[in-house]
Amino acid sequence: MYQYSEQDHQLLLERVAQFRGQVERRLKGDLSEEEFKHQRLRNGLYLQLHAYMLRVAIPYGLLSSDQMRTLAHIARKYDKGYGHFSTRQNIQYNWPKLEDVPDILDDLAKVEMHAIQTSGNCIRNTTSDPLAGVARDEVEDPRPYCELIRQWSTFHPEFNFLPRKFKIAVSGAIHDRAAVAVHDIGLRLIKNDGGETGFEVLVGGGLGRTPMIGKTIRSFLPKQDMLTYLEAILRVYNQLGRRDNLYKARIKILVHETGEEKFRELVEAEWEKIKTSGLFIRDEDFAWIKGFFKDPEYENLLDQDGNYENLLLSNLDFARWADKNIELHKQSGYRIVYLSLKTAHQPPGDVTADQMDAIADLADKYSLGQIRTTHRQNLVLSDVKLKDLPALWEELAALDLATPNYNHVTDIISCPGLDYCALATARSIPISQAITARFDDYDYVNDLGDVSINISGCINACGHHHVANIGILGVNKKGTEVYQLTLGGSAREDAAIGKIIGPAFEADEIVDAIDKVLSVYLENREDPEETFLTTYRRVGQPLFKERLYG
Amino acid sequence: MALQVYTASLLKEGLVAYLTLENGNPSWTPDIRLATAGTDSELEALKLAAEQSELENHVVAPYAIDVLETEAGYIASTKREQIRASGPTIRLPQDAVRASRKAA
Ligand code: HEM
Ligand code: SF4
Repeated sequence: MYQYSEQDHQLLLERVAQFRGQVERRLKGDLSEEEFKHQRLRNGLYLQLHAYMLRVAIPYGLLSSDQMRTLAHIARKYDKGYGHFSTRQNIQYNWPKLEDVPDILDDLAKVEMHAIQTSGNCIRNTTSDPLAGVARDEVEDPRPYCELIRQWSTFHPEFNFLPRKFKIAVSGAIHDRAAVAVHDIGLRLIKNDGGETGFEVLVGGGLGRTPMIGKTIRSFLPKQDMLTYLEAILRVYNQLGRRDNLYKARIKILVHETGEEKFRELVEAEWEKIKTSGLFIRDEDFAWIKGFFKDPEYENLLDQDGNYENLLLSNLDFARWADKNIELHKQSGYRIVYLSLKTAHQPPGDVTADQMDAIADLADKYSLGQIRTTHRQNLVLSDVKLKDLPALWEELAALDLATPNYNHVTDIISCPGLDYCALATARSIPISQAITARFDDYDYVNDLGDVSINISGCINACGHHHVANIGILGVNKKGTEVYQLTLGGSAREDAAIGKIIGPAFEADEIVDAIDKVLSVYLENREDPEETFLTTYRRVGQPLFKERLYG
Repeated sequence: MALQVYTASLLKEGLVAYLTLENGNPSWTPDIRLATAGTDSELEALKLAAEQSELENHVVAPYAIDVLETEAGYIASTKREQIRASGPTIRLPQDAVRASRKAA
């Protein structure tokens, strides 16, 4: 994990002191809300439906156990005892008081955390694969690149006031677990024919009211050129992106309006000028940054364990959990464990302070002291020994973090919706809870297999509904909350925007509608191995439409 | 014209508040039922008081919302404002965990 330098520490302390001053002046009335708003949004502080909301950055979703304990402490001391892990791998607090925020930021700074780049029209916190460094299908570990992007983008003077916010995601594996195609820039680590590592560069993906899949503007970019190329893209966007119309300000619109080919030419022309600048990544830079992300000292272990295998046979609950929430690790004798934040009791992504503390302890005990957050609003313990799985499972189950549903129907992404969000047009959390309550039969969930449901409470699409196999968008129709269904989206390497299936459903109809959609799938799949998405793509909308509206 | 009350967020806490105006004295209450409602000229007085309060940095971004009068006091007309007035419609995680423990 990256360790702050003296300079990094200094930067954070100065930033907190600066914001403390701004808060004091605001509370005294020396700053108006109009003036202060820009300052607070530069420090992750929103004013939401019920209270202030503080968004804390978790760079590329990586947390140490001590950082997790600090997050717990903040939830307990300054908030209502919980936090919300978001689709951008960050955490949000829903109830901080303005006067406490400088103290919160101080506490965060002590563990090398902050709320910078979590709001405003800057380059936001970079997201990545939660399995970075441990996945079996990895081409190369994306974290050193993410960290370079973090350092390059933090307070980048030229890009501090872009036409609109800017989100970058990096994936280093064959399978895309970072949704790179729906980010302003998506970087995919690949190898070329010569065996060299570089990036496929996607630009102009995004969700919101105009969802778009990113376009590949370069099929292979040598890795040394990552920062110069990013700088070139940002420069073109900063100059040409539309500042006159909020809805047309994202880079996706620029790419769309300029045309992919022309946009590529503009970027390449800019890049020619700065290719060899100080941002060129030298071998010694790589050596330095990669030093922070070296493999831990894994033990040499057999990829089998008697106790584990016995429990698989004797304990059905354990076997189900192991089947759903465990992933193979690149290292023999180790496993990757998903902690499901999707239960019938808590909103998707919400974790209590007590759970956070307990997770931090589990990470220390079983997983080299680290935790990752995922864009599907779950957590990951990345380095668990096979022989420790039974004990870990028992502890997770006691914490209600062992629902066997990873990438299954109840592993729902949900934005906060109208229960918290000032921009919302409808509630999303209660819908996710109603769906979770309906599909509580393990055998059915298991039979449905790999399927995603995502819910957003308005067209801003924070809940990624466009790229769910089954997407739900809450809208306000003459004062009533109704829900529009989209089918066929994907956030993975086969990224696609779902299509609206027909008129919206009332809140008390939507779960039945989902049920129908799932039955059409079950009745029409060619065999149990065929996923929902594959079936949908094969049979198309008509069968689903007929069942829903026929 | 619909009956309206003034609402805003308290500067310090960020919490939702409603304006009461008694004998020309403004104050802010978290309870919408206790707000002072008005139309026309009463509403104008509420507006001035709310704006003054904003200038004095007690509250942020005041605005008027439609309310309905019930026996128990005023309630907001829209879903959004009802949720704003009474908090999230779901159980907060702390409470939910406690409840599920009890049930178990
Ligand atoms: C509660 C306060 C929030 C506010 C005010 C807010 C605001 C917005 C807005 C205005 C957009 C549209 C941006 C555009 O298209 O230009 C957006 C998109 C998005 N937000 Fe939020 N959001 C909030 C919470 C969240 C949460 C909780 C998450 C994660 C669960 C999130 C993640 C995202 C993502 C992933 C997108 C879409 C991707 C994109 O195109 O940028 N936001 N948000
Ligand atoms: S999708 Fe809309 S309702 Fe949901 S968090 Fe984003 S802005 Fe709020």
